Amino acid sequence: MNNLVFGKYIPIDSFMHRLDPRAKLIGLFLMIAAVFIPKSWWAFLMIAVVELIALLLAKIGIRMIAQSFKPMIVMMIFLLVINVLTLHTGELLFMIGSVPVHHDAIFNTLFVVVRLLLMISITTLLTATTKPLDLTLGIEWILKPLEVFRFPTHEIAMMVSIALRFIPTIIEETMRIMNAQKSRGVDFENGSLSQKITSILSLIVPLFSVAFERAYELADAMEARGYVPGAERTRYHILKFHLADYLFILICIAVFAASILSRIFL
Amino acid sequence: MSLIELKEVGYSYNGEQKAVDGISFSIEKGSYTTIIGHNGSGKSTLAKLMAGLLPVQEGSIHIDSLKVCEENMPKIREKLGIVFQNPDNQFIGSTVRDDIAFGLENRLVESEKMEGIIDEYAQKVGLSGFLDYEPQNLSGGQKQRVAIAGILAMKPEIIIFDEATSMLDPKGKKEIKKLMYDLAGGDDITVISITHDIEEVLQSDECVVLNKGKLFMQDKPEKVFAKAELLKKIDLDIPFIEQTRDTFMKKKLKLKAKDLEGMAEELWRYRSNR
Repeated sequence: MNNLVFGKYIPIDSFMHRLDPRAKLIGLFLMIAAVFIPKSWWAFLMIAVVELIALLLAKIGIRMIAQSFKPMIVMMIFLLVINVLTLHTGELLFMIGSVPVHHDAIFNTLFVVVRLLLMISITTLLTATTKPLDLTLGIEWILKPLEVFRFPTHEIAMMVSIALRFIPTIIEETMRIMNAQKSRGVDFENGSLSQKITSILSLIVPLFSVAFERAYELADAMEARGYVPGAERTRYHILKFHLADYLFILICIAVFAASILSRIFL
Repeated sequence: MSLIELKEVGYSYNGEQKAVDGISFSIEKGSYTTIIGHNGSGKSTLAKLMAGLLPVQEGSIHIDSLKVCEENMPKIREKLGIVFQNPDNQFIGSTVRDDIAFGLENRLVESEKMEGIIDEYAQKVGLSGFLDYEPQNLSGGQKQRVAIAGILAMKPEIIIFDEATSMLDPKGKKEIKKLMYDLAGGDDITVISITHDIEEVLQSDECVVLNKGKLFMQDKPEKVFAKAELLKKIDLDIPFIEQTRDTFMKKKLKLKAKDLEGMAEELWRYRSNR
């Protein structure tokens, strides 16, 4: 769990780190939209290549990104099982006992899995190269137009930023509670389903209790340092668009457009 | 008039049992005051009441003649900062730099001026080389120093340390205690420290003892610990030096030294004279 990189900022200097968070957020939305449009493997390959280049520019190892896929493995297996059991169209590939496995079941699962992996890696790339506080500023900027409808943009952005800031702390806390419960004989790996549910409850209940305690203390610390939700604040980080940011957005628009074209022509 | 004045302050979390009950005392400007007492004696509640994090239900608190109430909170916050027990739960920014900037942003300090202020206070707490570090890459003592720098950057007149050293290792404890003494001694900041560390109490100017939400005693530390029998009644620890003094007193030997080294010298002189 300590190796989780999803939501974790990696403090290094790279081209991707230096990009304006707003450009990265716009890029994220365009790329995620691009992932959901195509129905062709070629389009996925194109998105994957662009992502790979972005990863290289971010100086983040592929192995590190692959770690963020780990929590999804169970979900992917579940998806495969459901598809195999329910989708009986396309060519019959083979039999597992009395269960027939059809081409569409495998194909559809792979499609969803590839989409999920691309989406997770795009999001991980954003959080790994953007400081939570910069992300807050970016989100706030993107949501700014909603202020007309009295939408609390700053508060939402601050909530997201704090949630991201506390991911490593909560993971650490989870490990600590897990070890404490293990030392008292709780087995998180073996046992029946009901035993596993009981084990997980022994983790979740204290975790929530600690998280609430942290939240109260953090709120006190913020208030004591003069934070008033909705009140005017100055900014330490002033965001500025540079040529590289415009180029990055243009590339993302190009990928998005190519994705739409692939849907039409491929 | 004293810098901080509490008059018959009372507070209850559940409306029945009082966490703080009729507490009155005052704190002088530039002093180092320690507040001691058992867990549940009302120390942290009192700190939160002084900082305006809890509403005063009974009595009144005045900070530099300003009543602690909702409408005066912006001015009170300018005068008073608070450092909490758990350094992890008060680290708001993603790096040391961002965390120190958080309070300045709330104080509407212009962006161009922030860099200088951040550098100045990071240097003051000895974290100049750590400005781009994230919280998980800092020790407990360093995180606590970041919290102090964040408060100092807001230039408060009063800082409350709510058991700020209790979660730290001995090295971290020593670092933060030194910083606290320096603030009270050299920077003319009024320090209020809520603590279980009896040795720290001995170094303070004034000591407030709380018991079951009520004020038990307020005096100079040496006078507080001179009433050892009273403190024992509420199961509070007596510093080793005071226990030693008490033991020799029973043998009709009055020792005046304030620290162990001085006491050893006094004993040596006494032995040589005999």
